[in-house]
Amino acid sequence: MLSDKLIDVILASKNDDKLPSQLAKTILHHWQNDNLKSESGLATLLESAVLVELEKTFSALNELQMSDVAEQIKQKLAS
Amino acid sequence: MVKFGIEFVPRETYWKIIYYVIQAERGGFTNLWITDHFNNRNVYATLTAAAIYTRSIAFGPGVTNPYMVNPVFTAQAIATLDELAPRRVVLGIGAGDKTTLDSVGVEMQKPLAAIQESIDIIRKMISGETVAYDGEVFKTAGAKFLFKTRGSIPVYVGAQGPKMLALAGKIGDGVLINACHPKDVKYAVSCVKEGVAAAGKKFDQIDVAAYTSFSVHEDIKKANKAAVPVVSFIVAGSPPQLLERHGIDVKKAEEIKEALKANDWGRAFSGVTPEMISAFSVCGTPNTCTERVAELLKSGISQFVVGSPIGANVREAINLISGKIIPHFEK
Repeated sequence: MLSDKLIDVILASKNDDKLPSQLAKTILHHWQNDNLKSESGLATLLESAVLVELEKTFSALNELQMSDVAEQIKQKLAS
Repeated sequence: MVKFGIEFVPRETYWKIIYYVIQAERGGFTNLWITDHFNNRNVYATLTAAAIYTRSIAFGPGVTNPYMVNPVFTAQAIATLDELAPRRVVLGIGAGDKTTLDSVGVEMQKPLAAIQESIDIIRKMISGETVAYDGEVFKTAGAKFLFKTRGSIPVYVGAQGPKMLALAGKIGDGVLINACHPKDVKYAVSCVKEGVAAAGKKFDQIDVAAYTSFSVHEDIKKANKAAVPVVSFIVAGSPPQLLERHGIDVKKAEEIKEALKANDWGRAFSGVTPEMISAFSVCGTPNTCTERVAELLKSGISQFVVGSPIGANVREAINLISGKIIPHFEK
């Protein structure tokens, strides 16, 4: 499941300094309300994962057959 | 019914700890313990975040010590947390570990007196008294809070040796037994019972917890691998009598200690044997961990604390405990 994959990427990351504290609080807010699987929860996780572990996020997306999403993120980052 | 507690070391950034705490509360854990060491993140800042993001889990330092933090400050922190999360706050207090105290030049003087006196002072302060105290270790001269406190807080005493365990039984509302193996926990509970009897209390009036090093994974090799670093430190800090009780070669333990001192982690970790893992952790698949918890419960404990490392992947481990271990004891 996407939310599990992304949260594992974020929790395992050592790049905590790359995650803005407000974004961390937003993750906790969604989690507290059991809302990480919602559209806004997934958006928060995706934004966070990209910030802390870009390549691992792409790998996770590819594993879940979501390479189109990975491609969109790459294009957005390049623009 | 047995309670399940969980311990976190605030070495990781606060929000990751709180993520796991929310998960643990949702998964059936009733108690949260945050360790208190100056070289990790602050225990009370972490507990404050836990109070804000949770609804029912009881929580407290597990454990603080009166040498690094004067009892009046511990009382202040606990009383303030109690405003934030009424009736959920508990205090875990013990003598601390000598290595950490040595590293900041603080002497662990008269630990039994220090614990008894600090708990006296903390309880009086929290009950709103003006405290004039003339102890062997601590003295106060009319200390009093300038704010209104909400009443008493359960105090758990962290203990390992027989005298501290008996004192814990005598004066504590709970005891945190620092042991994992049924032989050690059984002996520790017998010491606690002596203290309980001396105080004229009943054993079931206090919450007795086995505070364990724990590692669970569906793959036993991964569970073991996660447990090894923690076990190496426990072995290195264990007295020879304890090692011998478990049939562990004291020389091998000494080698691990030397390797850790030299920061040679590879040598230290490779010296950890299956016997050491069995003696100083609850480690394995969900089934083997369930069996070990069941065995420990026979000693008379009322709370089982899942401590570091918890598992190779903490999120997955909490799911395993919540989904496969805790339900076994709810039947």
